[in-house]
Amino acid sequence: MTKYFHNSKPEMSKIVKIREEDEDTRTFFIKLPFTPKKPKPGQFVMLWVPGIDEFPIGVAGIRDQILELCVAKVGEGTEALFELEQGDLVGIRGFFGKAFRIKKSITHIIVGGGYGMPPLKYLIEEIIKGRTERDEIFVFEGAKTKEKLLYVELLEKWTKEKKIVFFPFTDDGSYGRKGFPTEGVKEYLNQDNKKSVVIYSAGPEKMMKILFDICRNYNYIIDIQMSLADRHMRCGFGLCGACVVDPEGLRICVDGPVFSKEQLERIADFGSYSRLPSGRKEEI
Amino acid sequence: MNLETRIGKITLRNPLILASGVLGSSYSSLNRIYKSGFGAVITKSIGIEEREGNPNPSVFFLHEIKSAINSVGLANPGYKLYKEELKILIEKKVPTIVSIFGGNIKEFSEVLEGLDDLLFLGFELNLSCPNTEKEGLAVGTDPQLVYKITKEMRKRTSKPIWVKLTPNITDIFEIAEAAIRGGASALVAINTLKAMIIDIYSKKPILGFKRGGLSGAAIKPIGIRFVYDLFERFGEIIPIVGVGGINSGYDVIEYLLAGASAVEVGTAIGIKYPENKTNLFIQQIKKYMNEQKLESISELIGGAHND
Repeated sequence: MTKYFHNSKPEMSKIVKIREEDEDTRTFFIKLPFTPKKPKPGQFVMLWVPGIDEFPIGVAGIRDQILELCVAKVGEGTEALFELEQGDLVGIRGFFGKAFRIKKSITHIIVGGGYGMPPLKYLIEEIIKGRTERDEIFVFEGAKTKEKLLYVELLEKWTKEKKIVFFPFTDDGSYGRKGFPTEGVKEYLNQDNKKSVVIYSAGPEKMMKILFDICRNYNYIIDIQMSLADRHMRCGFGLCGACVVDPEGLRICVDGPVFSKEQLERIADFGSYSRLPSGRKEEI
Repeated sequence: MNLETRIGKITLRNPLILASGVLGSSYSSLNRIYKSGFGAVITKSIGIEEREGNPNPSVFFLHEIKSAINSVGLANPGYKLYKEELKILIEKKVPTIVSIFGGNIKEFSEVLEGLDDLLFLGFELNLSCPNTEKEGLAVGTDPQLVYKITKEMRKRTSKPIWVKLTPNITDIFEIAEAAIRGGASALVAINTLKAMIIDIYSKKPILGFKRGGLSGAAIKPIGIRFVYDLFERFGEIIPIVGVGGINSGYDVIEYLLAGASAVEVGTAIGIKYPENKTNLFIQQIKKYMNEQKLESISELIGGAHND
């Protein structure tokens, strides 16, 4: 039976499979104790490693009770997670936040950098599922090196199947084109394009800010949706204020993490400042 | 009908005050809550230096009892940096109370004196945070210390000083009396209750700090009792601000009837649309006052004591 995931204490869930993506990135398949109402791409969970730490992770996919979470080793909490094995328990709170809003019959441009890719992979899956003949999907992914490009096999398979068109970029040119995915998007937009476009993006905020500035003045781009999930969070449900952005007091965890073009225009902190656990603002 | 209320020298447009610890790290979220219709806001508790607070999980909700447990542990950027947030709040004319904490009189003094030149409404002394090992709790349960700190702060500022009391104590009267003798302008009751949650499968406390404080609906009857008792004993000499589990306009009325002159709201704001909830609170208060043919908030304060 489908159950609503109440905003409550962590639901203890078993790791059923671990897939290595690269030396410090793994996908954890986690069996929830029930089949939840399906999360939407862009939403996140708070993942608790018992006795160690809890942190936000974007949903990378779900099939019935099995939740897919892709985690990079970046600190004490994620390091402890990497020590866990199949059969071990983690706690899940969620699903939190506003999701990407998928528009119909348009050109979808998806731009991901580094660890922004997992929620975008889920987004692409969902767009493909609900697509009409008029939907086109272009995926621009950037990473430091070939090893760091996530989901390449899958995205190339989808390209072969004519579901999407995939443009990989690496900083060192070890795979795809050398450079940043924002450059690819810029070239694409400079072509003659009359169809409505929506930009969806997740990844480093600096990259997204550059992308935003490139895209904001094209009138056929009907929305720019970006996930600012890569920030310090505590509660996940809008109470503590740890993730607030200025000047309107939007909370990343409930008012976001996915924001629309119109909202992003009003977030002065976007691409420039984030908050440390103490509440002090720090330049990104 | 007039929703204005007075807490000593402070007059607010209505009795709703955002409680300390909720959305209080940034001027922007405090301004947002004030704009949604609150009477005033209280900052996150500010200390002498930057503190990261406790590890996660540090806040989560408990659906079955509509409450939250937290062990944030006084995370704050320190008063020097926080002053910048305060300046913007003042510029935006947001009625603001600044919550401060310290491990001793010296620390309290430094924070208070460091901020006192700004024109905000007043101070709230956090003598009772249950989420730190040394500071806060030890202070708030010792009548001598409460007296001394309040008195020393009283000497150092002309602004109102509210003293927030802990419910984690045998005799609240002793502490309240100490605060009053020290020169408190209002008593605020209550802070969170000491609490803990253990996960039975991993067999571990869930909070990163293990122990925490409970807020939300579960503690409302406890807060009501404290406010009722305090009003009965001290209602004629000091105003009381009620806090604990307020989740509707009717809960606000209940606190006013128990003896509060205003209330602080915290956990109820942790939702998608806090603006809608503020509107609902105000509508419910007005509806009640209409039905009861009341003209002003003052007619309600302590109304449950008229035997």
